Amino acid sequence: MTTATAAAAKPEFTLWQRLSGWVMNPWGRPRFLPLITWLYMAWSIIPVLIAIQFSFNDSRSRTVWAGFSTRWYWGDPNDSVWHNTQLRDALYQSLKLAAADVVVAVPLGVLLALGLARWRGHGSGPSNFLMLFPLVTPEIVMGVSLFLVFTHIFTFIHPSTTAQILGHITFSVSFVVVIVRGRLFSIGRQYEEAAADLGATPAQALRLVLFPLLVPAIVASAAITFAISIDDFVISQYLSCGASCTTVPIFIYSSTRAAPLPNTNAIASIMVVFTLVAVGLGYLFYRIFTRGESREGGMTGEMAGFEL
Amino acid sequence: MYPRWLWPGVALPGVVWLILLFLIPFYAVIGVAFGTVNPLLQTPVPAWNPLDWNLGWMSQTLNNLAPGGIYWGAVTRTVEYVIISLALCLLIGYPVAYYIARHAGRTKNLLLILLIIPFWISYLMRMLAWVNLLDPSGYATRFMSFIGFSNLAVHLGLITSDTNWLGGASVTVILALVYGYIPYLILPLYAALDRIDKSHLEASRDLGASPWKTFLHVTLPLSKTGILGGCVLIALPMFGDYYTPNMVSSAPSTSMIGNQIDLYFHGGPQPTIGAAITVVLSAFLVILMGYYMWAIHRATKEAAAS
Amino acid sequence: MHPMERRNGFNRRQFLLRSGGAAVGLTSLESILAACSNSTTTATSTGSNGEKLGPGGYPLARPGGPSVTFRRWEDPIESNLQPETGGDFTIYNYPNYLDTAVMKEFGKKYNVNVQLTPFQDINSGIAQLANGAAGTPDVMEMTPDNVARVVTAKLIKPINLDYVPNLKKNVWPSLVSPFYDVGSRYTVPYTTYATGILWRNDHVTQDIPSMKQPLDIFWEAEAYTGKTALLSEPRETIAMALLRRGITDINTEDPKLINRAVNDLDQLNHICNIKVGDTQFQTIPEGTTYLNQAWSGDWLAGYIFYLPKGTPSTVMSYWKAPKGHVPVQNDCWSICSTTKKPVLAHLWLNFILDNGIAKQNFLDFNGYQPPLEELDPTTLISDGTFPENAQPAILTKDDFGPASLQEMTLTTAGQALWQNGYSKFTAGG
Repeated sequence: MTTATAAAAKPEFTLWQRLSGWVMNPWGRPRFLPLITWLYMAWSIIPVLIAIQFSFNDSRSRTVWAGFSTRWYWGDPNDSVWHNTQLRDALYQSLKLAAADVVVAVPLGVLLALGLARWRGHGSGPSNFLMLFPLVTPEIVMGVSLFLVFTHIFTFIHPSTTAQILGHITFSVSFVVVIVRGRLFSIGRQYEEAAADLGATPAQALRLVLFPLLVPAIVASAAITFAISIDDFVISQYLSCGASCTTVPIFIYSSTRAAPLPNTNAIASIMVVFTLVAVGLGYLFYRIFTRGESREGGMTGEMAGFEL
Repeated sequence: MYPRWLWPGVALPGVVWLILLFLIPFYAVIGVAFGTVNPLLQTPVPAWNPLDWNLGWMSQTLNNLAPGGIYWGAVTRTVEYVIISLALCLLIGYPVAYYIARHAGRTKNLLLILLIIPFWISYLMRMLAWVNLLDPSGYATRFMSFIGFSNLAVHLGLITSDTNWLGGASVTVILALVYGYIPYLILPLYAALDRIDKSHLEASRDLGASPWKTFLHVTLPLSKTGILGGCVLIALPMFGDYYTPNMVSSAPSTSMIGNQIDLYFHGGPQPTIGAAITVVLSAFLVILMGYYMWAIHRATKEAAAS
Repeated sequence: MHPMERRNGFNRRQFLLRSGGAAVGLTSLESILAACSNSTTTATSTGSNGEKLGPGGYPLARPGGPSVTFRRWEDPIESNLQPETGGDFTIYNYPNYLDTAVMKEFGKKYNVNVQLTPFQDINSGIAQLANGAAGTPDVMEMTPDNVARVVTAKLIKPINLDYVPNLKKNVWPSLVSPFYDVGSRYTVPYTTYATGILWRNDHVTQDIPSMKQPLDIFWEAEAYTGKTALLSEPRETIAMALLRRGITDINTEDPKLINRAVNDLDQLNHICNIKVGDTQFQTIPEGTTYLNQAWSGDWLAGYIFYLPKGTPSTVMSYWKAPKGHVPVQNDCWSICSTTKKPVLAHLWLNFILDNGIAKQNFLDFNGYQPPLEELDPTTLISDGTFPENAQPAILTKDDFGPASLQEMTLTTAGQALWQNGYSKFTAGG
């Protein structure tokens, strides 16, 4: 293009129009949006990476780097995660609660989801409302109420590991229901009706058609329940019975209010690994079971399908 | 095809569980709030029969929660923190969700994974990370002093000295709340934005609207329920948050209403006051929740009608 | 009747019993009070001379005043029993107040897994023990001002001193049978300390010891906003506010004085955004706070364990008021009623009073002086254990006695007054 035609082709837009055109167009490539997004990702994840880094610090400080060392994991004879029975017990307790939670809450939640999704009677509305409530109740309200119920009404279960498990199941059930129900809605009744047309009894339809279709949602909700239970703090703290009931979040909380050492970072990092492994496994199984389905959004779609 | 008793029967265990361990505990709170206190050890004595209810503690608590009472500061502070945190979460979260939903293209999966990772990292660990970073010798403090941001913050009265981020500053608590809760907002927002049919936007463009107008008049209204849902999802738990202020600033001057409840239940003098505050907080949140349900109901009716 | 309790399940029989009991005397009063544990009244009981009585109908123990001998609410365990082994042994204590090496040694010696359930401060510790949130600990660290309460509520068990020979052998004679627990029926001593001010002299410019009233420093601490803290203890904070105004009765129950003290403390929220916590032994050496209300052991613990490499100990200073104006105290150990290993619990008491173990706990970690005859505090500086500037943090036997100030038992109503005042202060305003 000659300079003359180039000059003649120069558009007559104002600065604001040029800027907004550059920034926001649904088919082009906006600029500040990716910038914000990547900055947000960095802001979101880097602090945690730094905390994990300091779990390998060679001194008692959590803020001044003194070299790489694994003393807080197994080196230090008194305070490392491996040698400090308080830390090890917290780890076991967290895993114990999470396992018990998954084993009970997932079946309970799946049944409840099925029932609520398909029930057409009078009680379904209030039951639905009841199920949604734990999702939005602040944890302190649940913690206080569970604590008072176990110290004044159900006193045969005083604050203890059993109480903690019961509390965890109570708030996990709603998450399971929401996830499974989303899957149920997307499946619809078509497959079961087709099975009935082909001669299946209701029991067979449930067992051979519905449950296999639900497996991805069950797996997703199991992974989520595990993660939620491991990270739970308030309910575990309110139902705690002292040293034998301490979980990793309780330990982290009390150590930041007392005199923290990098072993707090170490045990928190171990928890992160456990959670990511559980979620990764869940995702893997999910992919295996939904091979062949074109599902919008995948497992994230399952979890993001919060039909509140 | 299925017998009529099947679905209620299948739902029964779950419903019974929730009644036993969710509804009845609420009544326990009410019983304690309207009960009395054993003077020797300051332990609560609940009153189960409504005829035995002692209204003295509840009226004292309501007085203290009203303007001029000793909890009024905590109440206003909590509302202030929640509103500001919510606004910041939306301001940061909406563009991120929008970008991932609409424009990410090839990097969408990677971004989704990065988005979801904070869910799987314990809330307390994320706060711990910031407690370490904002320590006077922590990286964040040093960085902010280096770029002069600390001086600006001191100048604005946000913090008292340029390394004192953990010394009871409201701004630290608000930023910690934003950091902690924003993933719970972005994901529903992303889901809502992802669901918007691209054909609506194309139609709007075909009809001559500019990109900005399309956003304002098409995208934004269609994502309204997502925004509302996300806000409810984080605002309600935020009202009861007490561990965030305790971790990033253990000063009484940044205490939220959750701190007052926690104080009474972890060894404070009158658990009845803690229970009374819990009852009041729950009532307030039920009203909020009710408004949300009504708004959703109305939006669904509109969507069905249109 | 407390104005907050207008409608209660008060019935005529309880009223008659109570008014009749007041005329009869101490022993029946105590049993009536124990029976009426659901009573809503917080009226203070009075003894035969009209003096106020504490929980359980016991007189209010004071250093120079009445001594208290507790009744044993059950028989102590028999002597010469074998210790229980295996399983867990739970110690209920402040965090960072007991050397983990000492705990491990006890565990190895008796083949148990020793674990620690921490409480944030003694009042919440007792409350959580009472409502079950603390589980079933075996031994609990106790303070003398709370013994009457926990004995009346049967939260701690009587001790059989045959298992604790180290008490008579090693401990200061004045504490073998202290005035607050004559005969050591429920407690044995643990550590001694005073309450004063701990600060970083490289950041705090004022010369605190030469101030007319050094406690005023907190009210003049605008320059250290966010870097100051008080102990998270109702008794210590309000007592400091009282002492600052020259009131030396730190066991007062006068609502006017307490309210004024609480209002003074509330000012600190606005003056220097004061925090409350018990971590000064770490925050002062590390420099995250500059000015703290602190116990004397915190200086020593900071020096022993928490001072970062390269920071000289000369930057930490401690001040406490002269005798008669400074609160001193000795903490104790007690055996919880919830223990499933009573013999082992007794042996813990003996173990922690062993000269070697107590000194190891003190010098290797804790910083709080145990009241051992063998440990001469006057030599701690001359033999080089601690530097010169540790002097104000070291206590001797002279600091205790009838003329010293000790936070001691309050009546039930008084206790509620102090705790409510503290809640008001920490509510932030």
